Order: sequence, then C-alpha cells, then structure tokens
Amino acid sequence: MSIEATPKGSMGVAMKRKEDPRFLQGKGNYVDDLSFPGMLHMAIVRSPYPHAEIVNIDGSAALKVPGVKAVITGKDLEAAGLGWLPTFHGYDKQMVLAIGKVLFQYQEVAAVFAESRAAAADGAEAVEVEYKPLPVVADPFVAKQDEVLLRPDREAKTNHIYHWEVGDKDKTAQALGAAEKVIKQRIWFPRCHPAPLEPCGCVAQFDTMGRLTFHVTSQAPHVYRTAITIVTGIPEDKIRVISPDIGGGFGNKVPVYPGYVCAIVGALKLGRPVKWIESRTENLTSTGFARDYHMDVEIGARADGTVTALRVSTTADHGAFDAAADPTKYPAGMFGVVTGSYTFPVAHAEVDAYFTNKAPGGIAYRCSFRVTEASYAIERGMDILADELGMDPVELRRKNFVRKDQFPYASALGFTYDSGDYHRTLDVALEKIGYQALLKQQAEKRAKGELMGIGFSTFTEVVGAGPSKHFDILGIKMFDSAEIRIHPTGSGIVRAGTKSQGQGHETTWAQIVAEELGLDPQNIMVEEGDTDTAPYGLGTYASRSTPVAGAAIAMAARRIRERARKIAAHLMEVGEGDVEWKDYKFQVKGVPAKSVTMKEVAFAAYTNPGQNEPGLEATQYYDPPNMTFPHGAYVAVVDVDRETGEVKVRRFLAVDDCGTVINPLIVEGQIHGGLTEGFAIAFMQEIQYDKDGNNLNTNFTDYLVPTSLESPKWETANTVTPSPHHPIGAKGVGESPNVGSPAAFVNAVIDALSPFGVRHIDMPITRDKVWRAIRDSDPAKG
Amino acid sequence: MNLQYSGEEIIAADKAAVWKAITDPEWVGRCIPEVVDVTVRDPTHFDAVAKVGVGPVRGNFKFRFELVPGASGDRMDMKISGGGFGSAVDLTAGADVSDAGGGQTKLSWSGQAVARGPVAAVGGRVLDAQAQKLISQTFANVRERLSRR
Amino acid sequence: MRVSIKVNGVAHERDVEPRTLLVYFLREHCGLTGTHVGCDTSSCGCCVVVLDGDTAVKSCTMFAAQADGREVSTVEGLAQGGALHPLQQAFWDNHGLQCGFCTPGMLMTSYALLKHKPNPSETEVREELAGNLCRCTGYNNIVKAVRQAAETLQAAPVQK
Repeated sequence: MSIEATPKGSMGVAMKRKEDPRFLQGKGNYVDDLSFPGMLHMAIVRSPYPHAEIVNIDGSAALKVPGVKAVITGKDLEAAGLGWLPTFHGYDKQMVLAIGKVLFQYQEVAAVFAESRAAAADGAEAVEVEYKPLPVVADPFVAKQDEVLLRPDREAKTNHIYHWEVGDKDKTAQALGAAEKVIKQRIWFPRCHPAPLEPCGCVAQFDTMGRLTFHVTSQAPHVYRTAITIVTGIPEDKIRVISPDIGGGFGNKVPVYPGYVCAIVGALKLGRPVKWIESRTENLTSTGFARDYHMDVEIGARADGTVTALRVSTTADHGAFDAAADPTKYPAGMFGVVTGSYTFPVAHAEVDAYFTNKAPGGIAYRCSFRVTEASYAIERGMDILADELGMDPVELRRKNFVRKDQFPYASALGFTYDSGDYHRTLDVALEKIGYQALLKQQAEKRAKGELMGIGFSTFTEVVGAGPSKHFDILGIKMFDSAEIRIHPTGSGIVRAGTKSQGQGHETTWAQIVAEELGLDPQNIMVEEGDTDTAPYGLGTYASRSTPVAGAAIAMAARRIRERARKIAAHLMEVGEGDVEWKDYKFQVKGVPAKSVTMKEVAFAAYTNPGQNEPGLEATQYYDPPNMTFPHGAYVAVVDVDRETGEVKVRRFLAVDDCGTVINPLIVEGQIHGGLTEGFAIAFMQEIQYDKDGNNLNTNFTDYLVPTSLESPKWETANTVTPSPHHPIGAKGVGESPNVGSPAAFVNAVIDALSPFGVRHIDMPITRDKVWRAIRDSDPAKG
Repeated sequence: MNLQYSGEEIIAADKAAVWKAITDPEWVGRCIPEVVDVTVRDPTHFDAVAKVGVGPVRGNFKFRFELVPGASGDRMDMKISGGGFGSAVDLTAGADVSDAGGGQTKLSWSGQAVARGPVAAVGGRVLDAQAQKLISQTFANVRERLSRR
Repeated sequence: MRVSIKVNGVAHERDVEPRTLLVYFLREHCGLTGTHVGCDTSSCGCCVVVLDGDTAVKSCTMFAAQADGREVSTVEGLAQGGALHPLQQAFWDNHGLQCGFCTPGMLMTSYALLKHKPNPSETEVREELAGNLCRCTGYNNIVKAVRQAAETLQAAPVQK
C-alpha cells in the first residue's frame, strides 16, 4: 500500500475497517432488506415520450389486477398540494408525478401500490396513458433558440434557466486581446451517470400516532427530514428519517426523488408501510445525472508560457427540471475553481443553463459541485496551450503553479486556497513514473510509428462545503456536527451528521476520537443516519465529511478532553491549571510520574466526579472557516493501436495531497475507486439522447461500467500539506481521483496522437473516435 | 429509433374487392399476426391487441388504428399508435392499390415506425427485424385472406 | 407451485408464483438478504450464488423453479462455526470492499473460481470476476484478496 502516513496513536494507522464483518457475511442492512408486516410495494408508470401532453390516465384496468390496492396520478397529488417538489437550491421546482404533460422519457406519470412486487409491476403495466406527442428539444443549443417552450409553468417564458458569472469580464477580455498567444477550444464534458450498484429506494411507514419513519437511501438524512416537512406539512418532530447501509452514493442519492414522495403519500393514504425500490433502468434514466457542460475555454499567455488570462463560457444542459443539488447561491457549483493550480492574474467564467427534454439533475458522480468540469477544462486547456507553444506540458504547468509561499492564495475568481505544494507533488509524480525514461521511450517508438502517450493532470479542487457566510441548502447552513459520549469503562459512541455510503466512517471517525482521547478505536462505536439520534448535519457528498464533520468530531473530542482535565485534576488532587494532556495521558505539569489515563477519568466521571458535572460527553456543531483545497499530480501512460484505435492504459500514477491522512488504507481505496470512475468516463461511459429525446443508454448493457478485466492497476502515492485551518489538518479526498483523472487520460491519448496533429477528442474516447481522428487527420503528418 | 419498411403484394382478387376489405376496420384488424382482440370504434377507427415479442420483451401490445382512405380509391393511409410494457410505437403507413391485370390487384405499401421506451432500448436490429416481420406478415395476411375469398 | 431448495444446507419449501426468480426466493421467502439485486440485465453479478457446490450462477436470471431439488450456497453460508472463510478474511485484510453491495457476489464467484482453479494468476482472477461489477474499489484490492485466499486455502483447505 503506497499511501503514506506517520502513525501517531490512532491517526495515520492503516487499521482494518470495523464495519466490514457484517458486509462480508451478507448481514448488511440495505433498504431493500427491510420488510414490515402488511407492507405494500410500489411501482411507477413512466412515459415513453420525451415531450407530450397527457390526454388521459386510466387506472381502472390496473385496479382490477389481483393485489393492486391503489393508483395515484399527478392530479391526485396536486389536489393534496403535493404536485411539485422544490429543488435543493431553490431555482426551480420539479413535478412529482407528471401534471399536464411529460418532459422527459421515463418521467414518472403514475404510482401503483400492490401486495407484492410482481403485482405492482403487473398493475403498472395495466395503467393506460394516452399521450399527444409534442416537438422534442434534445439539444441545449436548440433550446436556447426558444422555438419550443418547455416550461410554460415558469414565470419567465424561456428555456434559459439562469446566467451566472464570476470574475472580471472586461479586464479578461483586454488581457486576451493583448496576449501573445491565445488558445480557444470547445470542450464538452458529456452527460454521464454515477450508477451506484444499489439503486435508490425507500420504505415509508406511519405508526398509530401518525409519526412517519422513512427508511431511505439518502446521503443527507437530516436535509431529507426538513425537506419532507416543507413538502408535506408533517411537523418535523413527527418524522424520523433513517438512512441504513447504502450501497454506493456518489451523489446519486442526494436529491429527493418523486418516488420517495409517492411512497410517503401511499403509506399515509393506505395506512400500510410502502416499499419502493427502483430498477437499474429507472435509476439510469430518471435519477440525478452528472456533467453535460459545453465549455468554450480560452487561455491567454506570453510567448514564454506565462499565463495571463482565462475565459470560460459554458452552456449547461440541465434536463427538464433544474434539480442540480447545488448550494443556494451557486447554480454552477464551484465552477469558479476553473483557474485550477495556476496563477491567472485575471479570469472570467460564465454559465448559461437551459432546459431540454432529458432527465433532470447535473450534480453527481463525485463532482465536488462542478469541480470535475472545471478541472477537466483547465487541464485540457493547459495541454492545448503547451502544444501550441511547443512547450513540454510539465514545464508549462510548473511555470504557472501557485508557489508554496503564496498560500493562502486568493484566486482571480474569488477562492482563497488554504495550502498546497504543487511543485513537490509534481516532482514526486515525475520521479515515480520515470518521466525522462518515458520521454525517451516515446521518441524511440514514434520513430517506428508506434503511438504512445503521456498525459498529466495537476489539479486543485475545492471541497468541504462550507462556511456559513457563503453556503446553505434550503436555507440551512452547511455546518456539520458530532456528539460524543464516553462510557464509564472507557469506551464510547460518536454520532455525526454525515452518512457514509462506503467511505468507512465507522472506522475513521473512531480513529479521530481515539487519537484525541487516548482510547482504543475498536471501542468507539460510530453511528450515522438516524435523524432521531444523530445531531443535525448536511450529509456526505462533495468530499465534505472529513473537512467539516471530521473537524466537528475532533473539536467535540477536545471539549471532552477539557471536561476530563477538570476531573483528572480532582482525581490527582491538584489545581486544574497544573494538569496537561501529554503522551495520551493527563499529567501533572513537571511531575510525569503523577498521571491518570482517560479510561480512569471516564470511570471517575460517573463514580467520583467531585464538584464537576457527572458524565462525559460533548457536542460540537462546526462552521468551517473556509473550504479545503486538496490537490494532486496524476500521470497516465497509454499505448494506442493505430489500426483499431484501441487505447491501452499501460500505467496510471496518482499522487494525491489531502493533507493529514487518517487511515491510509481507506484513502488508497477511495483513490482506486475514483480513478476507475474517471477511467470509465474517459473511455466508455455516456448517457446519450438521440435527437428525438430517446435515452440510448438505459441499462448496464448500454451504459458501461468497467470490470476487473479492463480496469488498470492503479499506482498511488501522496504528499502531505496540511490544511492550516482544519483542527487535524485534513482536507478530504474522496472526489479528487474523479476530478483529476479524466484530463490525464485524455491528455495522454491526444499526446499519443500528436504525430497526426489531433487537437482534441471529446470523451468517451472510444476506439472508433480514435480511429476516425487518425484517418481524418492531416496525412502529411501521419 | 426510426424504422422504414416497404413491400409489395399481388393479390388474386379485383381492385374493388381489395378496396372493400382494406377499408373495413374489423377486417384489417384481424390481419394483424397473433391478434387477440379487435374493437371497432367507428368506420375509420379501431383498437387491436396483439401478442408481440421483441427480444426479452414479450407481451400484449395495444394498437390504435386510424384508417384514412384516399378519395379516389387508390390509396389507403394508416396511423397506428401502440403501447405496452412502458413502450410507445407510432407508425404511419400507406398502401397504393392498383389494378395488376388478369383480375389481380397490386398493393404497394410503405411504412415508418418510431419506437420509444424499453422496447427501443432492446436494440435496433432486434426491433427492426420484429417490426419488419409484423408489418410484412400483416400485409401477407391481407393477401392470403383476399385470395381465399 | 411448490419449490424446494436446500440453501446453505437447510431445506426451504415454499409455494411461489412460477415466475419467481431465485434471487427473490432467497431474499423474500428464505429471509436471506445477503444476495443483492443491482441491475435488470444480468450484468452486475450482485446476485451470484453457487449451485450444487461449485457452479456460480446469477440468481436473477434463474427461476426458483429451476433450482428445485438442488443445493444453493449463499454468502450467509460461507463462515463456518463463527469463523470467517479465508475469502472473507482476505477481503477484510486487503480492504476489498467499501459499500459492501457487490461483496456477496464477489465472494461467491471467487468461491466457485477457487474450486476450479485453486491457484489462479492475476489475469485469471480478473477474467473470472469480469461478471461482477464494483463501483467503489476499482478491483485492485479484490484481486489481491482472492489471491491471498487462494494461498491460504492451498495451505489449509476448508472442509465444505
């Protein structure tokens, strides 16, 4: 294992995960594993038309199917004031079940409730819907022309959703005009989908007192609870949301989906628990997609490669509703980090978003709120600039990096980067990949007509949403929380407002507490996901858990230590000021022989607290002072077959810097997983819609997930540049590999094809695209 | 998914008999292969339920037909919309009816189908082959039944 | 129709609709929820169980009726007498799981693999696991785990 950390107590220890035994024995507790007496199953009727008026919905045949108990439609929900769902950032609302018309293929049209899964499916088959097709808009550039109005329900009669911009438009235009070299490239990050292996689902049940317990695959259970209150009017104390074990999230399980609302309505109306589990097809065609940003990137530079200006103009395709789960003031997420790791003196970025007849969404798939798009744009742009200047892409990057002594660094687009050491991380990468030897080998192969490419991505990303002065979701500030209680015999429990979907919180949170309190992490239990017991948190996505909840946990633990210190003083019969925490013990200053352990203090807290409040617990709600800025240097080495266009990834090295590493085994696992997702995006994944709005990638035979056979063997390493404002110096890392890797892959392929003068190929880079690029290139160079 | 088909049938019956048959909704409905039910709504509209299978997707498909006979008795246009297992198919078809001499009639037909939903996602080739089969078999049945009269 | 299947050595006899898939028979009728459903095209392998001791099958693509009178092994039957099977131990040691959803399928496919190829090379492991998708781990650690288990089993075979 190649992620390194300096173990100190429990920090930096590669301990095996505490949660694994139940998963290994098939005793995980996923939502579809739940069953309750009298439980009904729900199935959803979906539209085959991308855009159509609903002429009539007839559920009468469905109600005759044995086992079917009820059918509800958009009209029924509208009558109950539940027809529309607010989207998280508040710029739009979304139909729960279609009202009046359908706006994307596979949109929810009716919900059927039945005694069994099969009966519900039979019932859904039997619902008759009459549609009157309307003209389809499947392209944001066509939507822009406003010839067909998709959303007459909105006040502004246009398909344009919003315009967002940041930076200095005029100064950037001037700088580009004056630049010695300007490159401009349209770079598209196509639509893809996170496709966690467990699809979305829920079980809704009301008890005899009218209290709702909602088991649901949610990455943000508390936000769901508040959202349900807002939508249904049920008081928040009468709602309990439980996120059980979740089989992968990757942002797919952040939005509140129409199926969830229907299940709650069904449970209320029918007085029985209702389970809804979507199919893979439903997951791929109707739940939150990712990306779909068409970006025009312009970089201005001096002849020597010093960058002078960056301008990015983006057309965003949001689908039929703007359900992108961004914080309120950020319709384009953190796209402003598009200046990347470089010192652009001026920059301007703008995004114009449009509705189309496609599934809604936009924020998902480890994107850190659009950081994946931004990072891809700048890393591709820098490579194109290097190519035009005839410069080594490594030298161009190094020349323009923010230097270590420049941190905290205020970027031209308003971010203050906390810390970083880009030069060192890049040097580690160059050394480990053997860059000079690779260049030599590449030159030899080129002389023989063999295509080999080396691609870099030296990204900086921004995570840890976020400081209350900038961030909120539905008005709720993006703090996070921890509640820790230590038991008389020295073990304890920590509850946090985050919700792991595989990231290993049951282990890493225990490690933080154990480290701060000198206890055994095996005896610190971690609980997340039950809104009745966990303190309010904004959940786990956008790599925010370690930066925000991790900080809350460390600080709550320090509060406990402070209370414990008073009890220690009482035990050792000295003044409070004479006790210090040293070597994981409370010691009398200057008298190391006189000490007590936390375990002894814990026992005393319950049996002999003296004048102190009995018990030993603390809660901390943490409002981060800033975001954190993990960074990395990735290198891809590829070989391309010029006859078939096949790309083989020979090597991939990821050197990450996420600050302090809590558990190197878990960090490495996160990197492996994210790199595999980046690999999928770069070479094989896309959610395509044809011009008639038909979704062409609706299941795993058409939407490809890499298998063990084609996934490369990942090489990893790390540098450690702690975050100065984080209590344990940690920055978070889960999304970095998906943020950084696509550009490395693409840069490598383009590098391999440089004998043909190919400038850019959009992802996914399939064999036929490579083959065509070679065939269509300048023959003189071939 | 846009699919185009065309074909020709020589029918051993005169033009008037052919025209009479293909303007009769009940009669046309019964020509659909594996038809299970035909419900006539009015002289030019009828519904039919037929067993259809496209790859792993099998079951009963409901079709709504509208017959649009040309005024001169030489052309019949049809609008067909169908649904089943979450999918939708819209077809437009037309047939030119002409005297082929010797008491025979020529039926030149062409059609275009648009399919959406799980049926379309199954894959172009499979859907194409099945749709081709369904349409040609329908017209072959027209020829068969008329030739037996 | 009446279906009788021996699951992990225990007989389960139930009256089920003929169209009941084996995976739902196991999950809903036998109460063994370790076997998962992750897709609708037989692509993901979350549902893999072992038939008659050594054949890995995708239980989403088999009717319960087809397993009538036969023996099915699921992940719940791997650990014996409270001790983890070497495969389970190896996955744990090597961080071969994150969300755990693909894990039962991975374990059962690996179990069958090691019955046929007790000493697989890395390439062979990757080939044999190509029917089991994972979104979290990137497979490197899973492959390591299977090879560690192969070594352990060769040194000390588990009676099963």
